[in-house]
Amino acid sequence: MRLTAYITLITLSASAVDAADGFAIPRDAVAVLDQYCVSCHGPKKQKGDVRLDTLASLEADARNDLLNKVQEALHFEEMPPDEAKQPSPAQSKTLLEWVGRHLKNTDASKLADKLRRPEFGNYVDHDKLFSGEYAHLEPFTYDRRWLISEFIFDAKMQRILDGRTTDNWRGKRVNLFGGHQVRGLSLANPFLLPEKSGVRYYANTDLTGGHLSTMLSNAQKTAIYITETLVKDHRKKTYLPVTREVLSLEDRHEATLVARRAFLEKYIARVCEDLYGEKNEALLPQFVPVKLKEEKQFSAEDRKKDKRLPVPVAQNTIKKSGGWDAFEQVVLDPANKDKSDREVIDLCERIWFYYGDYERDIQGRVAILRDYIADFRERIAQDKRARRTEYKPLDEAEMAIINDAIREHRAKGDRYNQVLEKCLTDWEQRFKQERIDAGPPSDELYARMIDELFVQVLERLPGTNEAGEYLALVKGYTDKLGRRKAVQKLIQTLLLTSEFAYRSEFGQGEPDEHGRRMLSPRDAAYAIAYALTDQSPDERLIEAAKAGRLNTREDYKREVTRILKQRDVYYRVDKNLADRWRQGNVTNMPVRELRFFREFFGYPKALKIFKDEKRFGGDRLGSATSRLLEEADRMVAHILEEDRDVFETLLTTERFIVYHDGDTERMRGRSDEIKRIYEYFKDKDWQNFTMEDLTKTHADFLRTVNMRTVDPDKPQARTRQGNMLQLFKKSMRSIVNRMDDGQKHPAPFDLYRGYGNDFLPGYNVGKFWNHDLDNWHYEPVQPAKVPNRKGMLTHPAWLIAHAFNTETDPVHRGKWVREKLLAGTIPDVPITVDAQIPEDHNKTLRQRLASATENDYCWRCHKAMNPLGNAFEMYDDFGRYRTKEALEYQNKLIKQGPEQKGDHLVDSRDTYETLPVDSTGYLEGTGDRSLDGRITGAIDLAQRLGQSRRVRQSIIRHAFRYFMGRNETLNDSRTLIDAERAYVDSGGSFDAVIVSLLTSDSFIYRKAIED
Amino acid sequence: MAMNRRQFLQTTATGAGALVMPHSIDSAMAAASEMGPRRFVFIRKSSGIRPLETALVNFSDQHKAMDQKKQAFEVALDKHELPNWLRGLDEYKEHMTILQGLSAKMSENVHWSFSSVMGCFKSQRNTLSAIKRATIDFELAKLFPSPFGHVELSFAGGRTGIVDGFSAPAPHTRNYCYADPETARDELFKSVLNPDAVNSDNDMLTFLQSREGLKAVGIKGHEKTRQQSHIQSLGAIRQRNKKLVAMAGELARHVPDLDPIHADGGPNATTPQKQAAMTDVLVAALKSGLTNVVTYTIDDLGTPVTGLPGNETDRIGIHPLGHDEAFGGVPAWKTREQIRISHVKQVKTIVDRLKQVPEGNGNMFDNTVIMYFPENGETHHGVGTESPFVIMSGRNCKLDIAGRYIRLPYHGTEGHKTLGNWYTTLLNAHGNPIEHYGDFDLEMSRKKFDQTGAIKPFLG
Repeated sequence: MRLTAYITLITLSASAVDAADGFAIPRDAVAVLDQYCVSCHGPKKQKGDVRLDTLASLEADARNDLLNKVQEALHFEEMPPDEAKQPSPAQSKTLLEWVGRHLKNTDASKLADKLRRPEFGNYVDHDKLFSGEYAHLEPFTYDRRWLISEFIFDAKMQRILDGRTTDNWRGKRVNLFGGHQVRGLSLANPFLLPEKSGVRYYANTDLTGGHLSTMLSNAQKTAIYITETLVKDHRKKTYLPVTREVLSLEDRHEATLVARRAFLEKYIARVCEDLYGEKNEALLPQFVPVKLKEEKQFSAEDRKKDKRLPVPVAQNTIKKSGGWDAFEQVVLDPANKDKSDREVIDLCERIWFYYGDYERDIQGRVAILRDYIADFRERIAQDKRARRTEYKPLDEAEMAIINDAIREHRAKGDRYNQVLEKCLTDWEQRFKQERIDAGPPSDELYARMIDELFVQVLERLPGTNEAGEYLALVKGYTDKLGRRKAVQKLIQTLLLTSEFAYRSEFGQGEPDEHGRRMLSPRDAAYAIAYALTDQSPDERLIEAAKAGRLNTREDYKREVTRILKQRDVYYRVDKNLADRWRQGNVTNMPVRELRFFREFFGYPKALKIFKDEKRFGGDRLGSATSRLLEEADRMVAHILEEDRDVFETLLTTERFIVYHDGDTERMRGRSDEIKRIYEYFKDKDWQNFTMEDLTKTHADFLRTVNMRTVDPDKPQARTRQGNMLQLFKKSMRSIVNRMDDGQKHPAPFDLYRGYGNDFLPGYNVGKFWNHDLDNWHYEPVQPAKVPNRKGMLTHPAWLIAHAFNTETDPVHRGKWVREKLLAGTIPDVPITVDAQIPEDHNKTLRQRLASATENDYCWRCHKAMNPLGNAFEMYDDFGRYRTKEALEYQNKLIKQGPEQKGDHLVDSRDTYETLPVDSTGYLEGTGDRSLDGRITGAIDLAQRLGQSRRVRQSIIRHAFRYFMGRNETLNDSRTLIDAERAYVDSGGSFDAVIVSLLTSDSFIYRKAIED
Repeated sequence: MAMNRRQFLQTTATGAGALVMPHSIDSAMAAASEMGPRRFVFIRKSSGIRPLETALVNFSDQHKAMDQKKQAFEVALDKHELPNWLRGLDEYKEHMTILQGLSAKMSENVHWSFSSVMGCFKSQRNTLSAIKRATIDFELAKLFPSPFGHVELSFAGGRTGIVDGFSAPAPHTRNYCYADPETARDELFKSVLNPDAVNSDNDMLTFLQSREGLKAVGIKGHEKTRQQSHIQSLGAIRQRNKKLVAMAGELARHVPDLDPIHADGGPNATTPQKQAAMTDVLVAALKSGLTNVVTYTIDDLGTPVTGLPGNETDRIGIHPLGHDEAFGGVPAWKTREQIRISHVKQVKTIVDRLKQVPEGNGNMFDNTVIMYFPENGETHHGVGTESPFVIMSGRNCKLDIAGRYIRLPYHGTEGHKTLGNWYTTLLNAHGNPIEHYGDFDLEMSRKKFDQTGAIKPFLG
C-alpha cells in the first residue's frame, strides 16, 4: 500500500484518528515520504526495521521515537542513501520542517540535545565554517552555567582544605596544583569526565541526583575534617581564623582534655604513687593473672610443615596490641636488670592489669612474651634508639587540678583507667557548663564566620539577604546540634549549593545591537582561569576584574597572554598517572594547554587497556606504560614550548623521548658509567673472578663506579638474588649484553632487576619502540630520532590507546583520523549490527576485517575508516613496528617463549607463524588533490596529514570546543577563521590560537537564554 | 540472554552520579511488588582458599584424580562428605554449591585484591583511579533497590567506626563501610536510635531546596530544566529521609541487641564474638528491608584474631599464618582451618535466621544468595588461577547450581570460566542482560578461547 493511499484512508476516517491524538501529516510531506522513503520503509520492505506507512496508527511515544529517527536521518543527510533517488532541497526542507514542528509541539525532539553533544560537533558543515560566507554573523555564547570538571573539583577541594602537594621538577622540589590527596579523608569525585579521546569537558552536563548524593557524603566528611583537624592545627593559624574563634573555647577545652589524657595514660601510676605513697598499693584491685592455655610444643610432624613465629613478627604482634612500650620501659629500667624473664613478664602483666588493659590484649601479650622474652630483651639491649622515658609532670596548675580530681574520684579497687575516665568525665562536665555560661557566639561573630566560610567555599561574600538567611540557619543548627556540629552543618550546606558545582558565565551590562552582553568581569576572570588551568583566578586576574581591567578585548588578551607565558606555577598533569607512577608527571605550562592535546589524541587511555605481559615479552608492564605516557606528555610539552608549527610537528616529528627523564646530564652520566665498567672489564676474565678479585685486585676501580650491591668495602653485602660476587657477574652479563653490538651508549637502566629504588623505573618502555633491552642503541640526548616513526599517531601510547587488549583496531584508528583530523562524520553503528571480526587462523586481522566489512551495507561507513586505519597495521597492538603479523593461535605456535623469572633481559614472547603485514591504504577527504590518494602506510599518511589545511582547521575546531565547552555553529565562523589566521601568521603558534579563541566574540559575548 | 551493543554501552557507561544515587523507597517497593526482592551476601575472606582443602572427602578415585588434575566434573553433595571446615553446613547441603575452577587473574592477587575481586579489574594496589567500574554488589543492588541500597561491613585492618571499604559504587569511587558491630547497628538504625541526626539533615535539605528554588525564578530554557531537576533531587533525598523516620516503628522491631562488650568498637571482644555480633547486624539489616545486598569483609591480612578455639589466648596475625608461622604451638594449617570454621558458622547463622522469616510462599532465605570466597585467589599468595566459591542459594534464586560440587575447566583451557563469567551469570539471572561484566582474562584472550557472558548451564 502506498503511503498516499494510506493517508487518504486516514483522511477519510479522520475523525476516528484525530480523535485519538490529532496526529496528521501535511500533504506536501506525505508526497515526499511517498516518493523517497516508503519503497524501503513501507509495507513491502522495512529496512533497518523502520516502517513509515503506519505512523498514524502508532502510540504517541513510539511515533515520536520513529520521527526522531527520521529527523536525525534527514538532518545528518544519512537518508536517502547516496545510491538512491534524492529529494530536492525544497522537498527535504518540507519534510524536515514538518517533523521538527511536530516533535517540538509534542516536546519530544531529541535532535537539539544531540547537536549539543561533542560527538555531533562535526555535523556543522566544515567548508561553510571556513568559507567566509558566514563571517558576517556575530558570534556569541548563551548565558550558561557549566558543571565543574573532575579537575576543578579537585582544585576546589585542595583550595578549601588548604592542601599542599609537592613533587620534583627538574631537580627541585616544587609545590603543585592538582592531584591533591588528603590522608584520612577519602572524597569521591562525582564530576568524572567521560573516558574518550577528543574533547571531554562540555558545558551541557547537568547536575544530577547522583552528583548530589555523592556530594552529601563528601560535604559531611569535609566539614568534619575542617573542624576536627584543620582549624585545630596550630601550624595553620591563618586558616579560617573566625571559625577557629567560634570553636576556640571548645577546641581549648578539648586540647586540655587531650593533653591530660595523654599525660595520665602514660603516668597515672606514677602520679598516684606520688599522691598516695605507701597507701597506693592498698587502693589497687586484687591482681588476677590472665589464664593461658598450656604451653604446647610442636610435634615432629607439625614441625615439618610449620615454622615458629619469627621474632620481628612476634614483636610486631605485641606492638599492635599496645603492650610494647610498657615492656620496653620495664626492660630498660636498671632496677629490673637482674630480674628473671618470669619476673619481668609478671611485672608487665601487673602494669597492664592495674592500668585496666583489656584481658584479651593482656593474654595475647603474655602468650607471646612467654615464648619470646629472651629474644626481645636481647633486641632491646641492641637497639640504640631504645631510651628510658623520664617522668615529666605538667605545670603546677595542671598538676594541682589533676591531683584534686584523682583525690575526689578514686575509689578503692579502681583500676587506673577507671580513675582516669572519672576525672575526664568530671572535667568534660565542667567545661560544658563553662561553655553554657559563656552563651552562644554573638550574631556578629557568626556573621563574620559566615563571610569567611562563603569566601572559603564559594569564593565570594554573601549578599545582605543571604547573610541574614544563613545567620538564621546556623543559629537554628546551633540550637539543635551544638556549636561544632552547627559549623559543620553550615559548611556542608555551602558545599551542597549548586553554586559550588557550577561555574557561572553570564553577560552583564547593556546589550549591543545584536543582543549580546559582555561577560561580567567576575565571570570573565573565572572563564579565563578555567580555560587555561583548573584553578580559580589568580590574584592578578581577580584584581583586574575588580579594578575594571577586564572589560575589553585587549584586557582579555593581556591576561590570557600573561598566564600562557607564566612558568613559575606547577601543575600535576594527570592524577591517575601520578596515582600509579608517583614521580614526575609535572608541568609548568598552563595545564589545560597540554591537556588539550593529550585528550585530543586520547593517548592516556593506554593506561586503561589491560595488556598481557607474556605477549609484551617483559614484566613490569604497568611501569613501562606509565613511563610511556609520561614521556608522551613531555614530548607534547616540548613541542608546545617551541611553539612553532605545532600541529605539523605533532603529526610528523621523528624525534621522540624514550626512557629519559629530561635530565640529560644524569642520563648521560649513568650511561657513560656503565660504558666505563664495560671498557674496564671486557677483556678480563670476569666470569671466573673470585671474591678476592673484587675486594683486592679491582677494588680501586670498583670504588669509582656505582654497581648495585658491589662495594669492595662491604663484601658481606647480599640480596635475595645472591652475594656480592654473584651480583657482580649478573651485572656484568647485563652490561656485556647491552654493549656487545657496537652500542655507542648503553641504556642506563639498572644492572639487574632488584627491589628498592630503580635508577629510572619503566625500563621496559624500550620494548614499545622495538628496542630489545640487550640490543638498545641508546640516545642520551633526547628527543631523538626513532626509526619507523613519524608523529603522535605512530607513538606507541596513541597506538595502544586505540587498540584492543590483544589486537590492533584499524576501525577506531581510522575513525579517529576521520573525525579528529579530517572533520568528517561517521554515523553511529546501526542498532541492528553486532559488529564482530570473524576468527580465521590463516588470515591477518586486516583480511578478516575486510571479510566482515567490505560488503555493500557495511562499506558505506567503513570506507571512511578502514583505508585510514589499515595504514597503522605496520604496528602491533603494543605499538611495536612490524613487517609481519603473528598468527597467535595455538595451532600456529612455533616455539614457547621462556619464563621471565626476574631476569629483565629475557624476552618471554611466544613465537608463532606469521603473515606479511599490508599497511597500504587510501586517504580521501583532505580537500587537497595533491594529498588525497593511495598511501603506503602510517608514515606516508602522517606526512600527508601534516601538510593538510583541513587537518589544521579540524584541530582548531576541536580547540574551539575545548576552550568554549560547546560545539561550534555557523555563528562562530569568524572566530574559527581568525584562529586559523592567527596560527598561520604566527608561524604555527598554538599560543596564538588560544589567544585568538579566548579573545573572540564567541568567548567574550553572551546572549540571554531563549525558551 | 544477549544484549545489543547499545544497551550494553548504556548499562556500562552510566556515570558516577547515577550509580551512587540512593534508590528511593518507592522504587524499592515497586521492584519488590513486581518480583519480590532478591538478596545477596558477599563474604570476603583473606589469605586464599586452597582448592584441595575444599575438595570433598569421599570422592571416588576417578573424581579425586580429576579434581587434582583440575579436570571438569560435577557431583551431588548429598552423596559426599564435606571437608571438616564446611561440616557446619551439613544440614544445608541442598542449598550449597562448591564452585571450583573459576579464575580471578583479571583482578589483583597475591596478598590483597582491594576492590578488584568484585570488579574484575586490576586495582593497582589500592589506587582510586584504577577502579574501573561499579563492583558486582553495587550492580546487583541497582536491580533490587532498598533504602540503603547497599551495606558494607568489614573487619579489615582491625579498625572501628566508619572507614573506607572495598566495594565501589562507581568508577574511581570507593565505598565506605562499618568496621565494628556497634557502629554498623547505630548507623543502619539511625532513624530509630538517633532521629535528630536525620531531622537535621532534612533541615539542611529544606533550606537548600528553598534557596535553589529562588534561583529557578526568571531563568529559561535548558537552565530552567536543569535547575528544576536539581530541586527535585534535593526533594527526593528529603523524602527518603522522611520515610526512613516514618519507618522507625517498623525498624525498631529489628534493632539487634548487642552485648556491652561491643561498645566503643569492642576492643575486648574476641573474634568469634565480633563475628557473631556483626552477623546479628547483617541479618537485621536484611530482615528489616534496609538493604538487599551486603558485602562483608570477614577478615583481611591486617585483622587481629583473638579468642579462636585452640588459640584462645593468642592474638593471631593472619599474614604470619599464611606464611605457615604458628601461634601458640598450634600448627598454622589448624589455625587457618579454625578461622574458616568460624566463618562458616556465620554463614550458617545467616541461613538459619533467614529461614525463620516467612516471605511469600516460603521464607526469606528462598530469595537469598550467600557467597563465601577468597579475595585474592587460591592461596595466601594467590595468583588467581583458581578462586573457590562456597555458595548458599535459596530456591527462588534463578540459579541452577544448588546441591552440587562443580569443578569447571581449568584456567587457560577451552570452556574455562572466570569471575567475570560468574558475575555475569548473577546479573543475567536477576534481570541485567549485560553481555559481559568485567575485564577479560588475557591468557584466554591470547589463546582465543571464548570467555564472554554468563555460565549458561547455571542459569535456572
